[in-house]
Amino acid sequence: MVDPLLRVPQPTAAELAAEGVSVRFQGLAALSEVNLTLLRGEIVGLIGPNGAGKTTLINCLTGFQRPTTGRVALAREDTAGWNPARFRKAGVARTFQAGRLFRDMTVAENVEVTGVGLGLDRKSAHSVAMEVLDWLGIADKAARTAGTLDYTDERRVGIARALVLPPAFILMDEPAAGMSDSEGEDLVGLVTSIPTKFGCGVLIIEHNMRVIMNVSHRLYVLDGGRTVAQGTPAEVQANPAVISAYLGADV
Amino acid sequence: MKIPLPARFRTPVLLMAGLTLLVALATAIGSEQLNFTLTEMLIRMIVVIGLYMFVGNSGIMSFGHIGFMGIGAYVTAWATLAPEWKQVMLQGLPAFLQEHTYPFPVAVLASGLVAAGVALILGAAIMRLNGLAASIATFAFLAIVYSVYSNWESVTGGTSSVIGIPTVVGPWTAVAFACLAVVAAYAFQVSRYGLMLRASRDDEVAAQSSSVDIVRVRLVAFVCSAFLVGMGGALYAHFLGVLTTDAFYLALSFVTLSMLVVGGIGSLTGAVAGTLAVTLIVEILRACERGFALGGAQISLPRGSQEIGLGLALALVLIFRPAGISRSREL
Ligand SMILES: Nc1ncnc2c1ncn2[C@@H]1O[C@H](COP(=O)(O)OP(=O)(O)OP(=O)(O)O)[C@@H](O)[C@H]1O
Ligand SMILES: [Mg+2]
Repeated sequence: MVDPLLRVPQPTAAELAAEGVSVRFQGLAALSEVNLTLLRGEIVGLIGPNGAGKTTLINCLTGFQRPTTGRVALAREDTAGWNPARFRKAGVARTFQAGRLFRDMTVAENVEVTGVGLGLDRKSAHSVAMEVLDWLGIADKAARTAGTLDYTDERRVGIARALVLPPAFILMDEPAAGMSDSEGEDLVGLVTSIPTKFGCGVLIIEHNMRVIMNVSHRLYVLDGGRTVAQGTPAEVQANPAVISAYLGADV
Repeated sequence: MKIPLPARFRTPVLLMAGLTLLVALATAIGSEQLNFTLTEMLIRMIVVIGLYMFVGNSGIMSFGHIGFMGIGAYVTAWATLAPEWKQVMLQGLPAFLQEHTYPFPVAVLASGLVAAGVALILGAAIMRLNGLAASIATFAFLAIVYSVYSNWESVTGGTSSVIGIPTVVGPWTAVAFACLAVVAAYAFQVSRYGLMLRASRDDEVAAQSSSVDIVRVRLVAFVCSAFLVGMGGALYAHFLGVLTTDAFYLALSFVTLSMLVVGGIGSLTGAVAGTLAVTLIVEILRACERGFALGGAQISLPRGSQEIGLGLALALVLIFRPAGISRSREL
């Protein structure tokens, strides 16, 4: 018998890139000429004050928002006209700032949806879902209704849903928002091991500076829809533009 | 009491056992009136289960399913009426229908298939609309079916009734089909498609990011659900023996939607329980309208109490138990 997992093609893309992406909502320029590259195996931080355009950028990179100008390229291929389902099939997964769990379904079912959406039968989808839930430490809650979870577990389910049948890239929108410092650090600890464990590239939005500087190999800093800085944590922290635009208030 | 069943078969087995038991008891009593009410209820249950299959799993309300029921009912009339009748009443039918009669099982299957075919065409057009727009489109569909069938005299008899359909459906046939509907709806809801559709109901955006093709899963459910409802329409024709287009319009839409809502839109158990509960309410009100003697005086509720009572029951459930009497859970 053929392993059902083999029927789902492994994503092969090694690079996801925003190339000169701008997004305008009516008059408002949410993103202006943004360039970003994410490679498989690295953890890239995306920071910036509220309304900087971070979520909008993730929306562009996952097919939820069409760039007004510029393009999103996966493995150098233009993705114009792709819908979010196609992005996920090609290996680009995401989590949502608002959680967005399937509230009336169980935790296991929430994660199974991705497996099934990618072509698995329910039984195989269930077993891969349980593996990921186990890795995230919430396998014991598999039969709970998602709507009854607390904030921390909700976030973990959202991550499990994105990580099942490992994508090439996972884009996480404030996965630790609303958690206590120690919960947040636990979670970020898990995030750190995603590249080696699942072979993904990780893009992570996070407001806690200490945490994001620790986990990221590289960072991009957005402000008012523009990239104001990019580089290693040390370079970014030393950048005067960053200090004035963003860190000023924090340090 | 613990029932030793694999958990995944529990709901359909319990529902089927309950329905079969109900029919066994009722037929043992042997009242003609009771058999009639029971058969009608079971046929409506098939329709409500079909409706649930789409509405419950997709979260999109449909006001058009009774259109599929009417389509199914007329298909079986065309297929099973005696050729002599059809040559007089339905002169516009094509020769393969007008000159032949087909056996009941073939006709019922054809009813389901034609309804499903129409749903495929309709659904392909409206499943990409957002929920509310899609609901309104289903209502437009009902209105269109109604006026087409009311005016297409040469194949439907227009506003006059089609009579002489073989009345071969009693409580046992009806319960057999109701069990089939239970199995079909349950199999669907636990299938890959059911899972993806429920995900899209809970959160469309997140479902897309889980690679769910929402239009496609909705369409599959819509077509399967129309198939069941079309068969329900055929059974209804073979139960009454007489068809009018009025039977498949607003009144029946209201009753079946009430059944679904009262039972709980989100579960198969709800569809079954709602049909039972609403039938009970309607029958009690109907009996009250006919009147009964109380201490020598004849008391009766005014005509129309049935509809008012049903509306009230619906409102009360929506206020006090919005997830229905089943709380949208399964047995
Ligand atoms: N769909 C939309 N329509 C109109 N304006 C929008 C839309 N989405 C976002 N915006 C605006 O675009 C700007 C960028 O929003 P975005 O959500 O990307 O910021 P963010 O960096 O994620 O902020 P936060 O840290 O608060 O999550 C904001 O001014 C926001 O109000
Ligand atoms: Mg945001």
